[in-house]
Amino acid sequence: MSKNYRILDLLRRGRTPLENHLIDGLVDGRLSRREFVRHGSLLGLSLPLLGRIGMAAGFGATPSLARAAGAAGGTIRVGSSVPAAAIDPVTIADAGGLLVMQQVAEFLCVDGPDLVLKPALAESWKPNADGTVWTFTLRKGVKFHSGGEMKAEDVVASIDRLADPANSSNALSVFSGILQKGNTKKVDDYTVEFHLDAPNGNFPYMVSSDNYNAVIIPASYKGDYEKSFDGTGPFKLEKYTPKVGASFVRNDDYWGDKALPDRTEFTFFTDIQPQILALQGGQIDIINQMPVLAGVALLNDPNFEIISLKSVAHQQLHMHCDEGPTKDARVRRAIALCLDREKLAAGLMKGRAALGNDSPFAAVYPSTDTSVPQRKQDIAQAKQLMEAAGLAQGFKMTLTTERYLEIPEYAQLIQNWVKEIGIELELNILDQGAYYGDAVFGKSNWLDSAMGITDYGHRGVPNVYLAAPLKSDGTWNAAHFKNKDYDQMAASYIAALDLEAQKATAGKIQKLLLEETPVVFGYFYDYLTATAKGVTGVQPTAMSQLFLDKASKA
Amino acid sequence: MLVFLVRRLALSLVTLFLLSVMVFLGGQVLPGNVGRAILGPFADQRAVDALNHSLGVDRPLLVQYGTWIWNFLHGDMGTSYIFRAPVAPFVIDALGNSLKLALIAFVLVVPIGILGGVIAALNLNRPLDRIISLGGLSVTVLPEFVTGIILILIFGVWLRWLPIAAAWPKGAGFFTQIYYLILPSLPLFLVLFGYIARMARSGMIEALDSDYTRTAVLKGLPWRTVIWRHVLRNALLPTITVIATQTGYLIGGLVVIETLFRYQGIGSLIFTAARGKDFPMLEAGILTIGIVYAVATLVADFLYSVLNPRIRLGAEQ
Repeated sequence: MSKNYRILDLLRRGRTPLENHLIDGLVDGRLSRREFVRHGSLLGLSLPLLGRIGMAAGFGATPSLARAAGAAGGTIRVGSSVPAAAIDPVTIADAGGLLVMQQVAEFLCVDGPDLVLKPALAESWKPNADGTVWTFTLRKGVKFHSGGEMKAEDVVASIDRLADPANSSNALSVFSGILQKGNTKKVDDYTVEFHLDAPNGNFPYMVSSDNYNAVIIPASYKGDYEKSFDGTGPFKLEKYTPKVGASFVRNDDYWGDKALPDRTEFTFFTDIQPQILALQGGQIDIINQMPVLAGVALLNDPNFEIISLKSVAHQQLHMHCDEGPTKDARVRRAIALCLDREKLAAGLMKGRAALGNDSPFAAVYPSTDTSVPQRKQDIAQAKQLMEAAGLAQGFKMTLTTERYLEIPEYAQLIQNWVKEIGIELELNILDQGAYYGDAVFGKSNWLDSAMGITDYGHRGVPNVYLAAPLKSDGTWNAAHFKNKDYDQMAASYIAALDLEAQKATAGKIQKLLLEETPVVFGYFYDYLTATAKGVTGVQPTAMSQLFLDKASKA
Repeated sequence: MLVFLVRRLALSLVTLFLLSVMVFLGGQVLPGNVGRAILGPFADQRAVDALNHSLGVDRPLLVQYGTWIWNFLHGDMGTSYIFRAPVAPFVIDALGNSLKLALIAFVLVVPIGILGGVIAALNLNRPLDRIISLGGLSVTVLPEFVTGIILILIFGVWLRWLPIAAAWPKGAGFFTQIYYLILPSLPLFLVLFGYIARMARSGMIEALDSDYTRTAVLKGLPWRTVIWRHVLRNALLPTITVIATQTGYLIGGLVVIETLFRYQGIGSLIFTAARGKDFPMLEAGILTIGIVYAVATLVADFLYSVLNPRIRLGAEQ
């Protein structure tokens, strides 16, 4: 399709240089439409505007993400894991708990299934020139379930509460070094500014559903959330019984389209197998999150549908870079070269995973440099590297890890593969509590083990993966990786506002990490939600959230 | 008799106290801490420290334990660290649920198990004996999660006769609750049946072979009277002990069944409390099971001493 420069000029008017640079990237063919939409949403451009620009640039209409609306009414029944602790937006950290909280409370913006940020309680947002101040414009006429309109002071209080070190906030690790308490400022009733500690090109993700604690609740909140379950969402709490379940009813005062179901019902399970049996037995309609190995029976059963989201969740295989045989980068590369990643994705993960290339830059991130060659199994090269490192005869080592999802099977595969280059791995598979320990250096099998595999959940942007487990001062640097060049590159990536600048730095980081290989990123697994046939309009996110306002069942 | 029971009661109290100390110390050995368990491995250490401080788990161990035991003795089970709510309603609900499930399993398994054992003994070495003995043994060694899943697949998924989850709707009547409990009680029945039947069988064989039975038969008493009056009374003594010891298992050891059938019993309550280092919940749950166990053992001792005076005399001497 041809480009319509007249319309493009019209659409460019009033745009910031950063936004115009993004549009140039699309028009000149440096960016794909997917990359353009994702990054445009991050800069706060609305989806209709991005669609119009795409059309004018000759890409045709953006495919609509909206699903056909099903019939209204009925109860949608969901199986989920048991909330591990009291439901509280400040402290909550587990999938079961945040699923319940997210039914009633909303975020400023939502990181959708396609990793595109969509407005929710904020209508739009934009950065200043250097990305140190982000301004969010709030939606008007949004009411809390308890009454009263949601305004700037509620946003300021909600985010300040999370950024306060005295509040036991689970989101403190997200805001640490980025946003301090007191730096979220009300401009007027519907405008909020975030004054950051340093430039940050991906900040909107930190106040989106990607930071699952960042729901907006009234400024007057004093704790004990289970007594109020207050929020602005399309559903209101009907009943919550700890350890048993929760139910919700439609909120007729909702600011957006009213929810289709009359009710939703959440049943808590301590294990996945009973959930699968309950879905097969017709006692629930949806399993919110289904690990692929546990759900093999459902994957090809025509009575069920699997919603499969590309996610960046993965298992990190770290190797100590400061001691033992893996101190030598050649040995670390040799180990990484032993893995047959295609077999991991196709066999271990039943085709529900994307290949990893030993950096957090998964293919789904628009900033990932896809020209960096994919690392493949190459035993001959691995043997050469071992020989060059003076370890041709191999060595013995312990791989410590947690009993969680497919990690034990993954560890066994690695154990078998590295045997080919003479490495004898002894597996030490621990209960999750024992593996993580106190989660501080010196008191944690995770952070202290010479080699280990750790589960990392999904994130819409790679910032957390780039900083905490890989920077020299990273709080989760289990590999003990210290590299000044890397630290600078990671900081520069995090600060960059422009997608092309991000891409350039990402490429450098990817190459450096391939060379150093402190962590093996073998695969990124899909986030799976199972539904009974005939259930439509269910919208999960890879952060364990489940949007049911458009759900219906035949 | 009274001295015997009082002595037993005192011993139980000492055991419970030691149990509470051991649980507390054992809880300290578990890796991690409460704040970390709640906030997760990736939380900022400052947030974990703040939470631990607000929960009071950074106080000296003796202070924590002392405060807890003092409150417990005054009828306050404490506040759950994890749920931030009083522990007592959780424990009472869970105990009630476990008792219901255990009761149904007992009501089914005790008479049928004893009957099976008696029939096997009366048909010693005949096919019926072999069927009961070997069949009982086979189902006893099958783990509950295996029989549980098989039963769920048959009755819940394929036939859809029985509900898979044992949690009945709020306000359900007696019969509805029973209906929801049939499926989870069956694996327990299968585990206990072989055990009880074997004890009853061996007790019966021993009693049938004894001098008093021979004397009763030679006296010319009818066979039915010999069995009811002389054999059963003596044969069931070890079976009673077995049943009493299984009470503790049925109340507190059902984590697998409770997980599989989504049943809110005290086993799963303790399991989750231990994982989260929720000390008040863990202590209250374990002590409650300890109390149930102690009471069951006392009742067994009492019954045993009624049925066998030699025990009572031995203890009193």
